[in-house]
Amino acid sequence: MSRQHLVRPARAAVAIAAFASLATVTACGAPGASSEPAATTAATSAAISTQAPTSPVTITLYDGQGLKGVDDALIAAFTKKYPNVTVKATYDPDNVTTQNQPRQLAAAEPPDLIRVISVSSGVKNGLLTNLDPYAAAYGWDKLPASQLAQFRAKDGVAGSGNLYAKPTGFTMTGLYYDKANAAKIGMTNPPASVEELTALMAKAKSAGLVPMVVHNKEGGGVFPFQLLLNSMLGPDKVAAWVFNAPDATIDTPEAVKAAQQVADWNKAGYFPDGVNGLDANAADALFASGKAVFFPWGNWDAANIDKTLPGKAGFIPMPPATAGGQVGAMSDAATAFGIPAKAKNKDAAALFLDFLSSDEARQIAVDNGFMPSGTDDQAAPTIPAGSVKTDVVAAFKAVSAAGGQTPFVQNATAGISNQAWNPETQLLLGGKSDPQKYVANIQAKYASELGR
Amino acid sequence: MTSLDGMTAPAAQAGAVTPARRSSRRAGAGASAARRRARWAGWLFALPALVMYAVFELYPVLTAVQYSFYDWDGIGVATPAGLQNYVRVFTEPQLVASIWHSFALILFFSLLPVTLGLVVASITREIRSQFAGGVARTLMFLPQIIPGAASAIAWTWMYSPDGAVNQLLSAVGLGALRTAWLGDFTWALPAVGIIGTWLATGLCTLLLLAGIGKIDASIYEAAQIDGANRIQQFFAITLPGLRSEIGVCITITVIAALASFDVVFMSTQGGPGYATTVPGVQVYQLAFTENRVGQSSALAVVLSLLVLAVILPLQRLFRER
Repeated sequence: MSRQHLVRPARAAVAIAAFASLATVTACGAPGASSEPAATTAATSAAISTQAPTSPVTITLYDGQGLKGVDDALIAAFTKKYPNVTVKATYDPDNVTTQNQPRQLAAAEPPDLIRVISVSSGVKNGLLTNLDPYAAAYGWDKLPASQLAQFRAKDGVAGSGNLYAKPTGFTMTGLYYDKANAAKIGMTNPPASVEELTALMAKAKSAGLVPMVVHNKEGGGVFPFQLLLNSMLGPDKVAAWVFNAPDATIDTPEAVKAAQQVADWNKAGYFPDGVNGLDANAADALFASGKAVFFPWGNWDAANIDKTLPGKAGFIPMPPATAGGQVGAMSDAATAFGIPAKAKNKDAAALFLDFLSSDEARQIAVDNGFMPSGTDDQAAPTIPAGSVKTDVVAAFKAVSAAGGQTPFVQNATAGISNQAWNPETQLLLGGKSDPQKYVANIQAKYASELGR
Repeated sequence: MTSLDGMTAPAAQAGAVTPARRSSRRAGAGASAARRRARWAGWLFALPALVMYAVFELYPVLTAVQYSFYDWDGIGVATPAGLQNYVRVFTEPQLVASIWHSFALILFFSLLPVTLGLVVASITREIRSQFAGGVARTLMFLPQIIPGAASAIAWTWMYSPDGAVNQLLSAVGLGALRTAWLGDFTWALPAVGIIGTWLATGLCTLLLLAGIGKIDASIYEAAQIDGANRIQQFFAITLPGLRSEIGVCITITVIAALASFDVVFMSTQGGPGYATTVPGVQVYQLAFTENRVGQSSALAVVLSLLVLAVILPLQRLFRER
């Protein structure tokens, strides 16, 4: 009997504990309510230092696996210059960084440097440090405005305001071309307008070549569309749309015209057969086979193209809608690092951010296929002769000078790439939609996700 | 979301034996305390499993139900949304379409594998050689060993414009039928479905083979002596004898179809257009790409209820009489 008395309270305790734990789940009120929003203003008032640390300090860094190469090189150069700083880097597989980054940022002990994917959502929840004091102290304001605009935010809208991140380098998009095939169809100079480009593609088609390697299984068809849109709608309006500026819309005659152009090219047979079933790897293989002329894609493929078509490929910006018009290109940060509001070693982290536009860091960015961040009077990084990267960097310089850098339309909201751009572009190229419906559907999804 | 793997076996009959045993025991008042103690001691043994169940099954399910009544980005403070998330599940055309697609997949994930499994199992039964039978069983079961995600990637290559499927078509003179299977609005869903057929057929065959082994061989002999041919034997002996095994196959594969995720996610991500969207992929994308945790939870809850609504009648239908 005495044993029974011992068992009973224990049993009751277990039952109560189990019940209590379940009860707290359901009764705790709104999810997320317990996490206190960290005050961003606190960072502004806190004293900052731009001195290299005099005693050993370890900072942590979080990024995607695909950028490990460039990050590791930057870290090595940085720690060589500042031996007191140790950088501990963590990388997540690229396909889950978008999912994990917000959780890393919101963690109780976040990394000191974190890849910033959405400036506005990080700012909305008060999780990012306002970098303005560091920018003033280090003189980052001297960088071309277009290089930092996308990392600024004010009242929840990105594009201008306080600075929250600084890039390791930039991506660049445009048209790769096969030099031999371009010569075959009589392309001596880069086409000066979309019309000239269309004429060249017609020649390529009749020469039995694939005029433009578009691959749309994963939404690569958005590339030719936005490359046209940048020029037709103008970089400012495209950027405003991506940054969710109030009343921004893509349901405009210019956007319809860009979509119409893509649909026309597709209808004329300028894209590969089965464009909706072609993925990036297959497109790479097709371009490498020497049967194609143009390939709308980006700098991330430059190293690969140097291998598959060594010395045989070139790169140009998408020609403007009309000769002499606005040139543009999607170009955002390789990684933009920000400092979480709850980070412990903000000064050392900011020292790393400052290092990102140094000459050493610029060379590392270019070596890894990215466009360097920095001012025009800095030394130009060196590129091995014969590499297509020379063309890519030249194109970036030209587009930057024309103020044509735009963010990717796929990044306008978290879900718009998967839920609108990819499927709607597949519908457009599959002949199941029309240009007007295309932009209207995407605008509708945009508005619904933003709650407008 | 817990049933996303689709292969969780039903645990409905777990406690079915206890009442009978309990009533058979007749004891006096003195023994009653001891009996009660013994009963609770049993629970104590089950406690570790129950705690695991509560923490990893019950807790997530309850939180998902709770989230489904909120608008929440997963990080900030949630705002109550009432039934809005549920209304959207049934009014947003893409979400409704995804539910229909998952029903279409039942044909490929469930009906085809069970039919094929029955045919193959009946034929394999006839293989007299131990070695040949073993090889046949192993080969049939192989797809089951390969993770769905990996086989989806392999199938993606085979379906590509220059892949094995199109090469095969050209080789047999049907080059005109070549197409980018996963990029075709008509063929993408059946193409994805066939990956599921390939995955599930082995499992069904193995389960059905085990069931056939339990059928008394003398019944077949008697039928043979009575002059029944193979087809007649199949319908008169094999099919009725496999009632419960077919029930298990159908249950597992229907859940896999309705809650499909890995195969679709790795092969098409729902494309082209919205031709292959399924609730499993939508749940994932809503929660982890769009950060709409509340909407995602609502769809997951609806999906779970839907699976139950389909499975429970099936369970009743296939129960042994």
